[in-house]
Amino acid sequence: MADVLAEGYNVFDTKKSPSGTVKYLASPADVIGLIQSGKLGEHILLVRGGTTTFLAPALSMGAIGVITMSGAPESHLGILSREFQTPCVMTAHLTGSDSRYVVGSTDESHFEEIARELDGKKVRLDCTDDEVGRVVAL
Amino acid sequence: MTVTTLAKPDYDVLNVLALKKMAGAPAIAAVVDLSAEDVSARLDALAAGGFAVVAGGAALPTDSAEPALAATASEIYAPVRTDADLLGLVEQFEKTNAQLLTTMSAWQQVDVGGRKVANDHTDAEYDEKIISRLERLVGRLDGLIDALARHDPRFATYATRFGAALEGIDGGDHDLVSSPTGDSIHTVWFEFHEDLLRTLGRERAE
Repeated sequence: MADVLAEGYNVFDTKKSPSGTVKYLASPADVIGLIQSGKLGEHILLVRGGTTTFLAPALSMGAIGVITMSGAPESHLGILSREFQTPCVMTAHLTGSDSRYVVGSTDESHFEEIARELDGKKVRLDCTDDEVGRVVAL
Repeated sequence: MTVTTLAKPDYDVLNVLALKKMAGAPAIAAVVDLSAEDVSARLDALAAGGFAVVAGGAALPTDSAEPALAATASEIYAPVRTDADLLGLVEQFEKTNAQLLTTMSAWQQVDVGGRKVANDHTDAEYDEKIISRLERLVGRLDGLIDALARHDPRFATYATRFGAALEGIDGGDHDLVSSPTGDSIHTVWFEFHEDLLRTLGRERAE
């Protein structure tokens, strides 16, 4: 069994199984920087929320996979990821941690821990399950 | 730290850029009451001021855009924020918005034996049902759009854009339901929602 680093909602079933280095994007500037670097296709993008609306340009420019730390598959970002057919795992939590996202009462440390643990790791997204999307270590 | 407030036409241009996340002057001019040349000149000035960058022929907002828009909106839309009738309509919008998101997902995916699979759009009856639900939901925004347009006429553009998308869908162009690259119902709705939140100085709920 491959090493599953994190799990969350699978936004849509797909056999696409993109792999790349996780890149945490904290702001619009990070997205602009990534697009300008020409290396968008090498990264699985990690963002904080389903409400992170600054990701749209990255999706339209060909992002290969997305992980969010909050938000539901019915959110704006979920709808966009299905439109662009970009595999997306939402409200991911670390399999090695007990910390979970709770709407409205999630400590900052929850997000920091996920960003710290996943940023820079080489991973593959497994989005074949109906419910659960998995972030697998490579 | 003091945040710069913008002149109204600059607000209008930067606001649309921030809503679209990435756009060229013609796309912005299509929804603000300015010529493409004027928009282009204002984008250059906004870029010089550090509020936007131009990359690959399109402009993107920088991290400085959001604070400047928020500061400007709190000045120009102060009367909107105390309009009790309008705020009542905003409460209703939150419910309608949740229904819209569910309906959009139902357009993209269908439930087959408890499992969500991509809608292959072969069931015309199902699709028509979703489309008429969308029409009803869009219709529920009329009062709010009118109330906003009484404060700032630019909001009326949303009614025009929704109308054009629905007309296109009725004419068989189903990409106008949820396509992120065209002026679809989802695109217009999303921009309207973001615009509304900025106008009111509110944050998006998770």
